[in-house]
Amino acid sequence: MSVNRRTFLQGTAGAIGLAMAQGALSKIVYAQDAAGTLRVAIAKPAGNLDPQSHYAIWAIQDLMFEPLVRYGKGGQIEPCLATGWEIEDGGKTLHLTLRQGVTFHDGTKFDATACKWNLERWMGLEQFSWMNCSKQFQSLEVIDDYNVAVHFKEQPLALMQELTYTRPVRFLSPKSVDADGKFKDPVGTGPWVQLSADDTQSVFEHYDGYWGDKPTYERLEAKVIPDARSRVAALRAGQIDLVGGFWIAPLTAEEGKQLESDESVNVVVDPGNVTLVMAFNPDRAEALKDQQVRKAVSIAIDRAAISKVLYHGYAKPAGNIFSGALPYAGTQYDAPARDAAAASALLEKAGWTGSPIRMKDGKPLTLELVVSPDAVPGSRVIAEVIQAELKEIGIDLVVRSVDHASKHTDMLEQKYDLGFFLTYGAPYDPFGSIVALCLSTFHNDVEGKLVTDAVNLDPLINAAMVASGDQIQPAIQKVYDWLRDNDAIAPLVYVPSIWAHSKRVQGFASPITEYDMPYENIVLAS
Amino acid sequence: MFHFISKRLKHSLVLLFLASLVCFTLVVSAPGNVAVLIAELRGAVATPGYVDQVAEEIGLHKPLLMRYVDWLGDAVQGDFGISYRTGQAVNADLSKRILVTGMLIAGGGVIATLISLILGFLGAFWPYRLPDRASRGLALIGASTPTFFVGALMIYAFSVSFRIFPSFGFEGPESWVLPWLTVAVLPAAVLSRVVRVGLEDAMSSPFVLTAKSKGLGRTAILLREALPNITPIFINALGTQVGLMTATAIIVEPLFAWQGLGDYFLAGVRFRDFMVVQACLLLFLSFFIVVNLVVDLAVMLTDPRIRRQWS
Repeated sequence: MSVNRRTFLQGTAGAIGLAMAQGALSKIVYAQDAAGTLRVAIAKPAGNLDPQSHYAIWAIQDLMFEPLVRYGKGGQIEPCLATGWEIEDGGKTLHLTLRQGVTFHDGTKFDATACKWNLERWMGLEQFSWMNCSKQFQSLEVIDDYNVAVHFKEQPLALMQELTYTRPVRFLSPKSVDADGKFKDPVGTGPWVQLSADDTQSVFEHYDGYWGDKPTYERLEAKVIPDARSRVAALRAGQIDLVGGFWIAPLTAEEGKQLESDESVNVVVDPGNVTLVMAFNPDRAEALKDQQVRKAVSIAIDRAAISKVLYHGYAKPAGNIFSGALPYAGTQYDAPARDAAAASALLEKAGWTGSPIRMKDGKPLTLELVVSPDAVPGSRVIAEVIQAELKEIGIDLVVRSVDHASKHTDMLEQKYDLGFFLTYGAPYDPFGSIVALCLSTFHNDVEGKLVTDAVNLDPLINAAMVASGDQIQPAIQKVYDWLRDNDAIAPLVYVPSIWAHSKRVQGFASPITEYDMPYENIVLAS
Repeated sequence: MFHFISKRLKHSLVLLFLASLVCFTLVVSAPGNVAVLIAELRGAVATPGYVDQVAEEIGLHKPLLMRYVDWLGDAVQGDFGISYRTGQAVNADLSKRILVTGMLIAGGGVIATLISLILGFLGAFWPYRLPDRASRGLALIGASTPTFFVGALMIYAFSVSFRIFPSFGFEGPESWVLPWLTVAVLPAAVLSRVVRVGLEDAMSSPFVLTAKSKGLGRTAILLREALPNITPIFINALGTQVGLMTATAIIVEPLFAWQGLGDYFLAGVRFRDFMVVQACLLLFLSFFIVVNLVVDLAVMLTDPRIRRQWS
C-alpha cells in the first residue's frame, strides 16, 4: 500500500481525534459536591505518614495520630490520650494514667499494652536521641491496663512539652505494621480516618468511634497545590476553603493583603511564635568579632519598617529571641528602634572610618548575607532592605541568595557572615532552639548554628537544661541576658501565622502551633 | 526509508549519550549536598556521621566516572533508580506522570494547531486588512507574553472572575482547558505566522494562476492548493514548538497543580535529586529526538520531492 500526502494527513487527523475523544470520555470526573467537606490546600503530597518517620506533613499526621498530652495556649499541657500524669522520683519517673474507652480506627483498644508498644518504637533509640526523653530513657513498666510508668536515667528537659510533639511521639495501631514491624497504614486514634492518598490529594472522613468532640462536617480533603499563586487563586475561585500555615501551604504577607480585598475570603493573622533572627558569624567575618560592629548592624536595621512595609503590618518587630507567647520566654524587651547616627558612631569608635564604605587597616567593611527564599519566604526582599540601610552607615552588604539545598550546606559549613534563622516555635521552644541552635556541643543539626560560645554560653545553657521547677525561668533568663548583653544575635521580627478561608468556613481559629491542622472549631455553612 | 530511519536512530543514540553526560556533569557540579537533605528527611536531626553514612549509601563517595557508569548501566536497562526525595522507584513515578505531561503537550499541540490555522488562514484570506492585522497583533502579543503570566491571566479570568473552569487539578476535561490554552498560546502565535507567510508565498506561485484560470475561487485555492503546499514547513515548525512545550510544562504544571514530568523535574532540581533530574532530562531529550524523527518522516510523506530523494 502506498502512502501519499492525502492519506497520511487524513490518518493523522483521525488518530488524534480518536485519542482525544477516548481520553475525554474515560477521564470525565465531575467535581464532587463540596457540602460537608472542608477542602484544605497543602503545598506537597502528604508523604509517608508513619509517626516515627520524618517525611510527612506534620498537620496531616495530626489529623489521625494523637499524643498523650496536647500543647495548649501559652504552653499549657492539656490531657489527650493520658488523662493524668505525675512526675516522681526527682523527675526520673513519669506516671501516666491513660484514657479509657479509646479505640484506634481499626477497632484495636488503646490501653497500656498499645501505649508500651508505641513508646518502645522510639524511646531509647539512637535515631531519636535528639529528644531528651528518648536520650534519658531507661525502662517502661506497665502497672495495669491503664497505668504506665516510664523510668529515666536522668530528669529529661521539658519532658511534657516533648510528649506533645507530632513525631515520633504519636500513637499508631499496633496492628498497622507488617511482620517486620514496619509501618503499613496510617491508623491512629484521632478524629480523622484516611480514605485515600495520592500525589494530588489526601481524603479523610471523620471517625465515628472518636472519643472526643467529633468534627461537625464529614469529610476533609487536602488538595496538593505546589504553587503559592495557584493556592490563592483556588481560594478566590471557591475551589478550596482554607489555606495557610508555615508547614502546610504558606501564605506570604503580600498574598494575605491581596486576599483581604476579596469579599469572599477572610484573612486571619496570628502574631505567631516563630522569630526571624539574624546570625553573626565572627569566625568568618573578622569585623563581627567586635561587639560594637554587631550592635551597629543591629540598630541600623529598621525593624518597624520591615514589619509595616514588607509584612504589611502583620508582623511585630522583635526585641527578643522568643515572643512572649511562649513559655519561659523571659523578660520581654521592645525591639530596638533604628538609630543610624548611633550605629555610625559605634563603627567610628570601632575604628571603621571613611565613606562611602568604611575601611580599617586598608580593608573595606564588606559583609555577606546569605538568604534562602525557599527556607524563609520573602527573605530576599528583607535582605535588600537591610542592604540599603547598612549602606547608609558605610557597610557594604553583599546579598547571596541560595536555594534550599545550598542553604543547608552553606549554613552548616558556616559559609556566611550574616544569615537568617527561624526559631522552631511551639511546642519545641524555648529549649528546642536554644539547645539545637546555640549549644556548641549539640552537633546533630543540619540547620547550622545561630550562635555558639563554648566558654561563656554553653555553661548557661547547660545550667538551664538541668534546672527544674521554679529554677527554670531564672536559669534560662541568664541565657537570654547573655545573648542580649553581647549583641550575639539580632532578632528581627516575630513571623506572623497567616491563614485565609472562604466565607463558608465559620469559627476558624489559628492553630496553637504551626504543626497542627486547625480543623477543630470549624463549622461549614451550607 | 529504512536507511533514513536507521541513520537517524544511530545519530539519536550518540546524541542521547552525549546529552546524558552533559546532564550528569551539570547536576553533580551544582552546589549543595544532597546527603544532608536526605538525612534531614529521614530524621528530625542528622549527625555529621549519619550524613556521611547516607552519602556512602547513595554512592556519593564513589568517583564521578564510576557513578556515571553505574547510573548509565541501570538506565539502559530501564532502571532509573530510587528517588532520594521520596524513596520511591523513579520508574513508578515516571509512569504515573508521563501521561499527565503527554496530555498537556498533546492537548496544547492540537489547540495551537487549530488556532494557528484559523488565524493564519484569516490573515491570508484578507491580506493587509483588518483580520490580517488583528491576527498579526494577537500573534505578537502571544509570542511576547511569558507563559507564567498567560497562565495567571487565564486563571484570573476564567477561574476567579467567571468561574467557568477550575484553577487547578487534573480531574476531567474542564480542568484540562486552561493548562492546554496556556501551553498553546506561544506555539499558536509562532505557527500562525508560519501559516500566514507560507500561504502568502504559495498564493504567488504559478500553480495558483493555473487554478485561477480554471475558475476556482480564493477560498478553494487557499484550502485545496495553497494549504497542502505549506504542510511540510508547518509540520517542521510544529515539531519544534511541540519539543519546546516540554520546557513550558515545567512552568505550567506546578501552576495548575498537575503532577507531571515538569513538576517532577522541578522538585528534583530543587532537592538535588540526581536520579529524578537525570531521568527527566533523558525523557525530555528522547522526546525531542523522537519528535524530530517523526517530523522528518512526516515531512517526507507530505513532500513528494523529499520522498523521491530517499526512495
